[in-house]
Amino acid sequence: MRKFALTMFIALQVPVLAWASPNPKLLIPEFAGLAQKATDSVTITLDPALLSMASRFLDASDPQDAATQEVIKGLRGIYVRSYTFDKDAAYSQADIDAVRAQLSAPGWNRLVQTHSRKTRADVDIYIMVDNNQAVGLALIASEPRQFTIVNIVGAIDLDKLHKLEGQFGVPKLDLDAAKSAPKQQDNSILKK
Amino acid sequence: MSEDFESELRAALRPVEPSAEFSRKLLANVTAGEAAPRKPRKLGPGAGRPLVWWFTASLAACLIMAVGIQQHQQQQRLRQTGLEARREVEQALRLTSQKLNLAFEAIKSQSTATDEKSGV
Repeated sequence: MRKFALTMFIALQVPVLAWASPNPKLLIPEFAGLAQKATDSVTITLDPALLSMASRFLDASDPQDAATQEVIKGLRGIYVRSYTFDKDAAYSQADIDAVRAQLSAPGWNRLVQTHSRKTRADVDIYIMVDNNQAVGLALIASEPRQFTIVNIVGAIDLDKLHKLEGQFGVPKLDLDAAKSAPKQQDNSILKK
Repeated sequence: MSEDFESELRAALRPVEPSAEFSRKLLANVTAGEAAPRKPRKLGPGAGRPLVWWFTASLAACLIMAVGIQQHQQQQRLRQTGLEARREVEQALRLTSQKLNLAFEAIKSQSTATDEKSGV
């Protein structure tokens, strides 16, 4: 009887603990309206099975493929939505707000928030850190004619992402600062 | 010399009437062969139904071929999915890096402006 009660107690704790642990996977809306208006749209949904399949089709002897393989090794998902329009202000801020609201949940830290007057581009980069390990990355880039959301789920090794520099053009990130970044810290993580 | 040989050959190969005994024996054999019932040919099991065997063999061959084709198609599909996933991974990383670069450029230009202001 006591054993049964203990088992029941543990069983009841599982969903509570699961709920309590931060979830780096964002609920990205369909953006059906935006997709219709866009001249070019990119929808990428890569779950663990597809990531592992993609990894098998990367050539380990090729340096770029090997680096990509290393980056995606610990990942559990890559989700990208990007829409390009032929005129300015084709999308509203409300379209992005649904995603941005999720990033105010516990666990997410804003790593970088930039605004370029020249390109009129706003880029927000959020990172979720769990046990001193980046477990999620979210990027929202809004430009006058383009709007992009990237959500990377899983053990993101920023060192490995860093190694992609020059191949995919990934800029240098200050990794130590990234891992201990407090929320709302702006413009201080990317190396000059 | 050759004429002698020819004539000898012709003499040797001249048509000869068979003897009466030979004709009699031959006729007797022919009559006996016609009268005797034909023995059934000895064949393996199921030899009496060759069509069934052909049908079974064809069915098996078709089945093997169908399984082979299906496996090949499945392999092709997997390969297609894998290549598509690889393309998507590359595109996703490229897009991510482009946007990271946007942020990087914004910070760089901001810091350059600050440096210029402070006269560094």
